[in-house]
Order: sequence, then structure tokens, then C-alpha cells
Amino acid sequence: MQNRTLFKAENISKEYPGTVALRGINMEINAGEVVGLIGENGAGKSTLLKIIMGIEQPTTGRMELHGKEYAPQNPIHANSLGVGMVFQEQSLIQNLTVGQNIFFGQEKKYRKFGVVNWKRMYEDTKQALAAIGISNVRPDRKVSQLDFATRQMVEIAKVFNIVSNASVEGSIILLDEPTSVLNDEEVKQLYKQIDKMRKAGNAVVFVSHRLDEVMEISDRIYIFKDGSNVGIMKKEEANEMLLYEKMVGRTATGEYYKVDRQTTPDKEVVMEVKNLGLTGYFMNVSFKLHKGEVIGICGVVGSGKEHLCAVICGDEAHTAGEMIIKGKRKVFSDPCDSRKSGILSIPKERREEGIIGSLSIHENICLSSYPSVKKKGFISKKLQYQKALEWIDRLGIKCSGIKERTEFLSGGNAQKVVFARVLSSGADILVLNHPTRGVDIGAKEDIYGIIRDMTAAGKSVILLGDTLDECIGLSNRILVMKDGKVTKEYDASPSNKPEQVDIVRYMM
Amino acid sequence: MISENTNLSIAEEFAAKMKKDNQKQKIISAAPFVILLFLVAVMGITVKGFFTFDNFTSILNQLASPLALSLGLTFVIIMGSIDLSVEGVVGFVGSIVTLMVLNTKTDSDLGLAGMAVAVLAGMAIGFITGVIHVKSMLPSFMVTFAVSKIMSGFAVLSYKGEPAMVKEPLFQQIAQGSFIGIPVLTWIAFIIFAIAFFLERYTAFGRYVFAIGDNESIVRNTGINIDKIKILVFTWSGFCMGIAGVMGAIRIGRGEVLIGNGTLFPSITAIVVGGTSLAGGKGGVVNTLVGVLIVTVIQNGLILLGVNPYIQLAIQGIIIILAVSLSVTRGKKVITK
Repeated sequence: MQNRTLFKAENISKEYPGTVALRGINMEINAGEVVGLIGENGAGKSTLLKIIMGIEQPTTGRMELHGKEYAPQNPIHANSLGVGMVFQEQSLIQNLTVGQNIFFGQEKKYRKFGVVNWKRMYEDTKQALAAIGISNVRPDRKVSQLDFATRQMVEIAKVFNIVSNASVEGSIILLDEPTSVLNDEEVKQLYKQIDKMRKAGNAVVFVSHRLDEVMEISDRIYIFKDGSNVGIMKKEEANEMLLYEKMVGRTATGEYYKVDRQTTPDKEVVMEVKNLGLTGYFMNVSFKLHKGEVIGICGVVGSGKEHLCAVICGDEAHTAGEMIIKGKRKVFSDPCDSRKSGILSIPKERREEGIIGSLSIHENICLSSYPSVKKKGFISKKLQYQKALEWIDRLGIKCSGIKERTEFLSGGNAQKVVFARVLSSGADILVLNHPTRGVDIGAKEDIYGIIRDMTAAGKSVILLGDTLDECIGLSNRILVMKDGKVTKEYDASPSNKPEQVDIVRYMM
Repeated sequence: MISENTNLSIAEEFAAKMKKDNQKQKIISAAPFVILLFLVAVMGITVKGFFTFDNFTSILNQLASPLALSLGLTFVIIMGSIDLSVEGVVGFVGSIVTLMVLNTKTDSDLGLAGMAVAVLAGMAIGFITGVIHVKSMLPSFMVTFAVSKIMSGFAVLSYKGEPAMVKEPLFQQIAQGSFIGIPVLTWIAFIIFAIAFFLERYTAFGRYVFAIGDNESIVRNTGINIDKIKILVFTWSGFCMGIAGVMGAIRIGRGEVLIGNGTLFPSITAIVVGGTSLAGGKGGVVNTLVGVLIVTVIQNGLILLGVNPYIQLAIQGIIIILAVSLSVTRGKKVITK
């Protein structure tokens, strides 16, 4: 097995307006190697993969592939040079068969007088599947009829087929969270497939939150934190404790999260869930939310926390268990319903779900509270302006005027507009979904202050924190979720904040 | 509170849910065929004169034009678009073909060649429609709606308000001819069906149409020329409209824009009833064949029963609402392209 370098990244940085996603990343990938890549949400792993695949362009830095300059313009370009990626979101076409998906776009090879010889394609499909060790999938089955694990395998076979046909020197396959839909048996199968690929002289980059798996399969592990590479560990040197420590690093100071302003919650229970579940996403979740309390929910993608959030906000109706809001049992099938019970959310996708970009600041702020700006049945512009001016002052929203369209505001200020809207709606149970995502540091601090004001005023908060740090700093209690279940509950009062390292253990 | 440890993981729950969804899908896809058999049985028992040779010939005659049209539209709908230009294009083709074969208005006597040119005209209009849709990025319903009106106008212009009467003997021969009991026009429709079947199942083009209807962005990322496929689909649709237009002229023996009237609705109804989803990505030409049979049988039955023709239209409307509501997945967008 040769040890030649297939890929090199030198000083790769990626900046977005307001945030730095990657800082001076250096990386080497050798033939026959499996390179693990770990880090918290937002550490920069996905960004690096996107750059390697040509989906994004680096702000600075350069890359080399097989010793030559490598600057892919798009994924197809990357594919043609022998670099392929299996994404977390499925990229198969559901209503076509396995074979038709694997050879999608390459039908020319099987065409004679316009007729495609599916039979011959399916023969080749069997070979493509065998190349990564799969022998029990029928090439003529529609993808929509396969279970997720099988679909995953077909995806890997597809990507492998594309890149191995592209270059003889050895291709690179990026796997982004490949095991999130697999059970133990299927994970072992995946290892076999990865093994086959590496033995043929290719390299695999394995990105995952499951540290035990990363340690088992990788030869070397890169650890990312806040956009930087904080360590490279060889398989022999790695152990969970060390990895956690590097990943999580030093805790940010309590001052930043205004821990001193953390309020003690009331005894009054505003919301209780008992054995709440949504088929296929989470189950047996139970907790009580008190007035003035912040409950933080921590978990990786796929832990079920996003769906739990969706159920509480009314986006989806739960399929098991009970939800009791202020003493009344409720089942929500629409955010309208949850709103009537006093629940409103600050959504994760600000631009699509939080603000209406083409409307002005004052229109956005009043969206959830029209009754309060009505005069004799009509909407009063004067009352709208008044309300908007109040909030701009109170929250420090930087803008050129209340009539400015929200789509032109920076992330942080747009988010403050969302907060203003939600706070003036009169809702008292607020679900904050990654409230400081894409927000600059100054606005972040302001938002933490707003959250403290909220709880002091008696509002209750369910928080999906942007980072673990944030979750710990802001919450009174923390629920850790993994694979759809709550694995640990922590008390997080100001004097008793848990360590990141401990929480991470229950997340992964 | 920490969750209890039950034996089932969410991954297993998810897999079970998917299995159930798949089973449901299988039942839904067999439904149109079952409905057809049921209809035929019921009609046979309750409607006098249904199960006769003459009536079956009548049904076969009836379905020729809608089948040809629907086969064209099927591909457009599977791709996730819609083609509303039917009435205008069919009317136009029907009008110009009568001006090219032996007729009372012009001196031309192009015979079969004239018919071929007319069909090609339909194809060309489809091609242009596709190009406009793709280059302007206007939604298909908008472009095709406009094309329908434009072509209707051109149709009337072509015969300057006074329709030409056909003298070409071939027309009468085709209209009245049959082969092994099946009318010639129906044979033509069946040939179009064979071509459509081939396109759908045995060409990469067919797969691409389904793929684009299912998830256009994935297809775009594989570097396939989506614009080309879309233009081809509208060209095929235009071709089928050309065939239907010539059929219409053959049937009534003269060329006027009214040939196209009332042809859009039954075609869409047939496609939807057959199980092809208006959201795209699902269905096929076999579904359309079953759908056309269902719609034709119902129409035939209603005529035999002597139901008021206006009520027949209303019934068609009800059928389409029922069929669409049963097939549309809740929340999924319909005809967005």
C-alpha cells in the first residue's frame, strides 16, 4: 500500500459576511488512508468538504490533487478529477431504479439506435455494487422501495463508481455523517465497504459525530474547533477523552452569556410533556418547563432535537405521549394552534422563516401582533411606526429607518427584528431555534441580554443553542438528546454549570 | 427526564413507517385499473346497449383523439409542467391541414404530404413553446396558455373566417375505415401509444423526464442538459397535438378552430384519473391509457343513459377533483414549473 499524497490543502480560509468559517486549514490525505474529521456543529467541517467538492470557493489558500493545482469549479468538475462526496441528504432520484441512479447521465454507454439496454446496465450495476462489497441489492428495484441503509449504500456505490472511473491514481471519497441512518450491523457493512475502497489505493474522509466509529475506522483524525484545526491524532494515540478535550476546548467566560443575570425559575409549570414521541424521530421525551425558565436542548443532527422543536412549535403533530400547556392537553397540527396556546418560535432559517424580506422593518415587527396596531378596524401606520421605533431603540437595531426592507439588514439586526416581533406578540413560551446563528459577536451579546430580559419578565424559553457553550451558559436546565431519546438531564444553575466535555459524551 | 430504554430505536421506527408508506403506494397505483374493470362491469349490467359490438366500436372511435393528445401531455405533466396550448394548437393544425389537401378553398392537393406537414407544424409549435418557456423562465402554464390563444387566432386567420370543406377522398376513407374491427384513427392512436411507451421505458430521455419531475435540482447537479429535455418534451407534446388536429379535421371533414374546443379538459382528466400525479415524477403512459379508457367509458355510459350533455361536463369536473385530491400528497406543490 503506497503512502503517496493524494491531496493537500494549504492555508485554506473561508469567510462569510460577519463570520469566519475556516482559518488557515492545512490538510494532507494519502492513498489507502481513512482520514477522520471531527468537531462540533459549526466547527467548519462541512465548509471544508464543500470547498473540496467545489461547491464553495475558498477565500484564501490553495489545494493540490495528485501533485497538481486543484481548484474545482463545481461538483461535476470535482467528480471528473476523482473527488466525490456522499452527502448527508440523499441525492438519489426516488422513482428510478438502483441501476438507473448509479449510471444516471451515463446512459450513452448502453444505448443502441436510441434504445437503452437496461439489462446490460444492470449487469454493470451489480459490478459497481460489488466494488464496495454489496451483493444483495437488486439493481432493478426502485430507490423509493429501499430502506435508508440500503439507499446509503447505493449512494456510496454511485459516487465510488463515478470517481473510480475518472482517475487511475486513486480517488478521494468524502463521507458526511454516513452512519446517522445505520444500525450497528449496517455500520459494520459500511466499514467493509470503506476497507475495500482504501485497499484499492483510494482515500476516504470520514466525517462523523460518532467518536467511537471515527476512532475505529480512521488512520488519522483531524479535530476542528471554531474553524481551526486544533489537532491531528493518529489512530494509536487517540482516545475519547483526548478527542473530547480538543474538540471542546476552553469554556467561554460566564460574563459573555450574562450568567449573573440568570433568573431562578418560578414553581409554576407552564408546559409539561410526557413520553412525547414522533414516529421515526424521537420518543419518550418528558420534561416540565417552569415560568421564567430556560431549558436548553443539546444534540447532534439526527438526535431528534429539531423534530422535538417542530412538535412544540406546532409544525408537526406528535404521534405518541402528551403535551400539556398551562394545564390543558393539546395536540398541535399547525403553528396557528400553538400560537393560541401562547407558543411562538424564532426559527432557524431566518431568511425564509423568520422575516419577510420584502417587507419593511415596521411591517415585520407588527406581523405577529396586528390587533395592537389597529384603529377602528384598519391598521394604523402611526401605531406601527411607534411600535417599531420603540423596539429599534430597545434592542439596538441598526438600520437606516423603519421603512427599510428587512432583507437588507445584517444577520444580527434581522434577528433582532424577529425578536421584536416575537416579543411584542404576547407569546409567553418561546422556542428559540439557533437564535444566534450567523450573528456577529456584538449582536450576540445583545441577544443574550434580551433573553435574560425575557425570563426576568416571566417568559419561558426552550432553547436549541447554536453552540454547546451557548446552551450551557444560557440555560437553567439542559436536556441532552441522542438518537431520538433524552440521555441525560443536567441542572445548569449559575453556580453549577456542567462541563462541555461531560455533555458531549452523552451527545455522541 | 431521561427516556426509558425501549427495544425499538427511532431508526427501526422510521424503517417501519417507510415500509407502511410503500405498501400504501402499491395499492394506490393499482387503483385506476381496478376502477376501470369495476366501471365496465357496472355499465354492462345497468346500461342498456353497453355490451354490444357497435357500442364498443363507438368507444374505440371516441378514444382515439383524447388518447393521442393525452400521450403528449403525459410527458409534460410527469416532468412537473403543464401544457395548456392544446385547444389552440389542435384547432390550428386542424385548420391548416384542410387548406393543404384537396379542398373547396385553395388549389393545393398535397394529400398525405399535406397531413405530414400539418403534424410537423404542431411539432414546430411545441418546439417554440419549449424554447420560450426555457429561455424566458416563465412558468409553463403561462407560456402555453398564451400559445393557445395565439394559435387560435392564427387558425381563424388561416381560413379567414370561412372554413374550408375537405374534398380529399383519403379523409373519408380514414374516417370510416377499420382494420380487424378497430377504426383506423384508433390504430393511429395505438401506434402513438407504442412510440410513447418506448420513449418512456427504453430511452434515457424517458428516465430524465421522470427524474426532472421528481427532483430537478439533483438532476441539475449531474450536469445533464435540462433545457434540452424540456424542449424535447414540449416538442413531443406538439407532435401529439398535431396528430389530434389532423384526426379532428378528418372526423368533421372541414377545418376550423373549433376542432380544438373542449379537448383540454378530458385529456387532463384522463391523465389524472389514470394515476399520473400533477406534481410530477409519478405515473406513465400505461396509466394514461387506463385513464382515457375510464373517461371514455363513463362518457359513453352517460350518453347511452341520455344524461344532459351539460351535466356530463359537470360530472367530468367532479371526477377530476376527486382524482386529484386522492393522488396529491398533502402539502406538495403542484405544477410549479
